[in-house]
Amino acid sequence: MKKLLSGLSPIFLLFQQRFLILQLVKRDIVGRTSGTLMGGIWLIAQPALQVMAFWFLLDFVFRVRSPGRITFLDYFLIGMLPWLFFSEVLNRSLNVLSEFGALYQRSRFPVSVLPLLPLVLNLVIYLPIYLIVAIYFQGLMAGLKAVAVLLTLFVWAIPFAYLLAVIGLFVRETRQVFPFFLTMVLYVTPILYAPDMLPESVRWAMAFNPMADVIALIQGVLHDFEIERGHWLRPLLLWLALLTPSWILFKRTEPHMREVL
Amino acid sequence: MTVIRLENVAKTYRQYGSPFDRLWEVMTHRVRHQEHVVLETMSLEIGEGQVVGLVGANGAGKSTLLKLIAGTIQPTKGRVHVTVPIAALLELGAGFHPEMTGRENVYLGAAVAGFTRPEVDLKYEEIVEFSGLLEAMDRPVKTYSSGMAARLAFAVAMAVEPEVLILDETLSVGDGAFARKSFDRIIDFKKARKTILFCSHSMYQIEAICDRVLWIDRGRVMMDGEPSKVVTAYAEFLSTKSHRPEAEAPQEASSFQEEKGLARIIKIKVHADGRSDERLVLETGLSSLKVTVHFEGGMNIALPSLGVTLSGAHGGPVTSASSLDDGLRFKRNDHETYSASITFQRLALLKGNYWVNVYLLCEEGIHVYDSALRVAEFEMVQQCRELGVVTLPREWKNLDPGE
Repeated sequence: MKKLLSGLSPIFLLFQQRFLILQLVKRDIVGRTSGTLMGGIWLIAQPALQVMAFWFLLDFVFRVRSPGRITFLDYFLIGMLPWLFFSEVLNRSLNVLSEFGALYQRSRFPVSVLPLLPLVLNLVIYLPIYLIVAIYFQGLMAGLKAVAVLLTLFVWAIPFAYLLAVIGLFVRETRQVFPFFLTMVLYVTPILYAPDMLPESVRWAMAFNPMADVIALIQGVLHDFEIERGHWLRPLLLWLALLTPSWILFKRTEPHMREVL
Repeated sequence: MTVIRLENVAKTYRQYGSPFDRLWEVMTHRVRHQEHVVLETMSLEIGEGQVVGLVGANGAGKSTLLKLIAGTIQPTKGRVHVTVPIAALLELGAGFHPEMTGRENVYLGAAVAGFTRPEVDLKYEEIVEFSGLLEAMDRPVKTYSSGMAARLAFAVAMAVEPEVLILDETLSVGDGAFARKSFDRIIDFKKARKTILFCSHSMYQIEAICDRVLWIDRGRVMMDGEPSKVVTAYAEFLSTKSHRPEAEAPQEASSFQEEKGLARIIKIKVHADGRSDERLVLETGLSSLKVTVHFEGGMNIALPSLGVTLSGAHGGPVTSASSLDDGLRFKRNDHETYSASITFQRLALLKGNYWVNVYLLCEEGIHVYDSALRVAEFEMVQQCRELGVVTLPREWKNLDPGE
């Protein structure tokens, strides 16, 4: 039982080491924005430009229609922003252990906080954007829901972050392949298009794509679409299945991390 | 009281074909590595207040032992018990970001060292005061000199108020006056009966400040005990193996520091019988060797002392002389430059090649401000047939009863 519950350790760490985590997040933001003319604005401008490119392509070129009575932009942003948050977290998790190697290689350091950094960092960036977008399209209530959605996604992403941190350090090749993999997941998930645009014949396959469930759940919560039981049950089961094993794997490989770099 | 205890500790580094093999082994418990022993099984106890020096060749396992005690690596076998807070100055300023200000980096560095925010708030002033960088705290660290950055990092590390200090290769941090200050802090540490572990290639420093020396060779403790005994045995070992101690490894003719305001050697002249030819040849028992040193005294510090050693082909010193022990004192003058000469009359060294090394040391003769190793080479020639390195005054007596 104790072992099973150890999977929750990252959440305790998040609280225990909040000062360290915030300092490191700050360091990271300074590192990324210093020397640029607009400074912190780039943190938001980068995802915004990406979003605009997709919007132009889908809304004006392909004239994708959105489900229900909402505008395409509303539909698209509510799904796309959480996706960007999630994919940035995963991408960064792959590199986080080698990037911060200097911190733990020659001094005592709680290595297990490192996979939390991409999560906190991206939450800091995406939470305000998502909040504003939700309030703009749907009103104040939706703002509250948006915060809840992103925080839930944050917790859901924890085991993935730990898993990918280990894989990224020990199986270097994944860093080359992973961005491609993420792009593929984006294309097979109804984010850039409505779920009913998928041909009937392949819709059943969405049950095997946890991201499709997560996005359906998010759209359901924020746009009051119908939520099927599978939309929350499957991601929950996946999360429960990964939570403790990913933590145990991380702790077991931890003594090796200093030696692998 | 024992503060550090190692119980049957051994460290083996595992060599893997690729990082993936390592992961595979962790997951499946199938061996996919080759082992390489760095430290053989050893047990060790270090008591409160001991100053322990580690000597041994590069790769002997000294750093590994320090890292095990510091807790940055785990032993393959056995247990390391440490009962008190440790500061390991193995890497200073881990996590410092050059774009961030001094103040921000103090918070960052302290967070990395395990402090909480209220703790840092409390310690902040003390850290800044010790670093002596009050005016620079709002500037990005990238505008600091490397010495200043080291000062800040050292000040943060000392804020942990450790009971045990672990130092790798360096007894002093930063530049000039601060190096002296950090060295003093370490001596304070010793005086406060706290525990220090360090490794150094300078046998001189080891003998000067340690209570106990561990000599490590190929992962084993060869000897453990009083500094003079262990250092002598180690030096012997080095010369029989015709190893050169690394501190005396051939360096540039001089390693004069460039920065201003620091105690440093400016010029050294070596004369043999009044001549300073390129090739210095001296005759055993007849010639005199004169070494003249010009140096800057350095501001804000007590005037330094000088040390001169003559070293032989094995690298170890054959003899040494210190201005401090010999009672020579300098008086502060306005130019801040000083000169002194030392003459070895009727040099008693036997034939062979020898080198002159000059050290500029603190007023207590421990901390090295500057050194010039192998600044001059000279050759001894002899008329007699004596063997060895030195000719000693002696007296024969015939005890023949018929006399």
